[in-house]
Parts: sequence; structure tokens; C-alpha cells
Amino acid sequence: MSDRSRWSAYRWHLIRPLPVAAPVNHALDEVLTRRVGAGERHPTLRFWGRIEPEVVIGRFQSVRNEVDEAAARRYGIQIMRRLTGGGAMFVEPPNVITYSLYAPQELVAGMSFVESYAFLDAWAIEALRSLGIDAWYEPINDMTSSGGKIGGAAQARRFGAVLHHATLAYDLNSDRMLEVLRIGKEKLSDKGITSAAKRVGPIRQQTNLPRDVIVERMIETFARWCGGLAEGQVTAAEMEEAGELIRTKYGTREWIYTLP
Amino acid sequence: MHGEYKTPGGKLVVVDCEVRDGRVVGAQVSGDFFLEPAEALTAITAAIEGMPADLDEAAIAARVRAALAPDVVMVGFSPEAVARAVRRALA
Repeated sequence: MSDRSRWSAYRWHLIRPLPVAAPVNHALDEVLTRRVGAGERHPTLRFWGRIEPEVVIGRFQSVRNEVDEAAARRYGIQIMRRLTGGGAMFVEPPNVITYSLYAPQELVAGMSFVESYAFLDAWAIEALRSLGIDAWYEPINDMTSSGGKIGGAAQARRFGAVLHHATLAYDLNSDRMLEVLRIGKEKLSDKGITSAAKRVGPIRQQTNLPRDVIVERMIETFARWCGGLAEGQVTAAEMEEAGELIRTKYGTREWIYTLP
Repeated sequence: MHGEYKTPGGKLVVVDCEVRDGRVVGAQVSGDFFLEPAEALTAITAAIEGMPADLDEAAIAARVRAALAPDVVMVGFSPEAVARAVRRALA
């Protein structure tokens, strides 16, 4: 099966950015993955909407090893643990673009995990390239460019579905990032560089286009990639389920400090 | 005690632990790796908890490997990477 026919085998739905509090986005990722896994929702592309800054750590990361909690508190930055593995991110709403894909696992059947990362983000690379950004995929899960790293992806296979999300740096307050995140030398040991800030190459350093134009181009590219994309939304029932998951999981100290 | 190891081209594994009476206690394995299913982290950590602190890297890797169910997928790291982070923590 060709790559394109894998995508076009589904009727994809789009959820446009809905500005919500930090935990809502993480809970929605689980709710929508469950719905797609249960066959209750079409495969979906969701762009995140944000209203507040956060530090997002990976499912398997330790809070104290990754975050300077005093600095985060000082700036009113919440610490969130997501459902997927991967690394910590410092996020300010206007400075990032995050999307999530929720799909049946058959979309990536027969692929290794490493292959599936590049496959699931290929349309995003195409969108960036169409805007004149010299972007490519760097396995396992990085989107990079001649100007530096643009973003990273993370994936989990759960609830009978695949959740794949990625965050792209549109802009970056690197001083603030370095205050809040702890980035050790070992992590950079195979990157040939010594500074995490130098490693990032936000989109805005490479094009003057506004953030919304980038998002629109990504939506157009995805629609073409899949041979169609229907407008959709988060249902009231899904939002209610997300609220429950914030109370029982994503908003709890037990979850966030699973690995202290 | 704290040890880190990054697999070249892969992900970081971090081990935090203490040693009591010659054995590893209070072990925590973390990192920016990917692991399916997520619950397998409990088995990896349990393989280290209580182990003799003088085990060499190969023996630690063998313990971790033996603790994993056949369906576990480690992406960007390996039992050997965990073992190296443990040895670095204990060094």
C-alpha cells in the first residue's frame, strides 16, 4: 500500500484550535484517542488552542530532573505530564503550534515505531517546505531544519488507536526556557553542540509569516494529503469526559508526580 | 545517586537510586524514551530494585531483559542503556 493510500483510506475530521486551560488539552488527547479506538469518532487531526504557559513533561520523565519547580512557580507556569513519552517542552501559547493525530492503529500497520514517526509527520514537513523552510525529519522524532530544530513528536499506542502529537516552535523565549527546564550535558552529548538554546530554530527565525498562516497551510496540506478533511469539533460529551479525566488523572498530583 | 546515559541517535535514560547493605534501593528509572506498553516501566524499575550494587553492566542488562514481557517495545533505548545509566549512578 502506498503512503498516500494509507491516509486516504479514512475520512479525516479536523478540530480547529479551541483555546482551553492546559490540562484540558492533555485530557482531550486521551478522550479522542479512546473514541477513535472505539470506532466512535472518525480519525481526527486536532490543532491545540492554549491560554496559558506550561511545561509539559513526557510520560516517563521525572519532574525534578526536568523542571526547576521554583522557577516555574515564580512565572506561574504549570507542570503537566502528557500521555506520551519523549522530552520536556516549555510552552507559551503564541510561540508554539501543536497538533494531535488520532487514528486506528492500522494506519501504521507493519511499520516500526521509528518509521511511523516520520510517516505521521511527513505532511507537516511538506507544509513547512511549501513555505520556503528547509525542513526535514530527523529520526526518531525530531523536525529540524538548516536553521535548527523546529519541533518534536511523541506517540502512544493505546485504547486500540494511535495518538501522535507534535509541537513546533514558532518563536522562543530561550532565556525563560533555560530558567525553567533542566537540560543536562548528557542529553546533548550526541548532538555536536553544547547549548540547548542554540539547538532550536523557531519557524519565525526562518520566515516572517504570521503563526496563523503557518497553521492554515498545514491544514491545507493535510487535506490534500488525505484527499479531504471534514470540519469537526469536540462534542459536549467529549468535553465532559475530559473534565472527568482532569479530576481523576491529568490534574492530579499523583499523575503529574508519577515519577517525582 | 544519579546516573544518565543517552543512546547515540536515541534517547536519554536516567536512574536515581540509593545503596543500602550492598543493594540498590529506591530506584527510579526515567527519561525521554518511548516505551510500549507504558506499564513496562514498572518491570524495568523492579529489575533494578534490590539488585546487588556490584553487578556489572552485562548482568544488569540481562536482569532488565528478563523482566520484560515479549510484547514490550523500547524505542530509543535498550536494556543495555538502562544498565549503563545504573552503573553510572553507582560509580
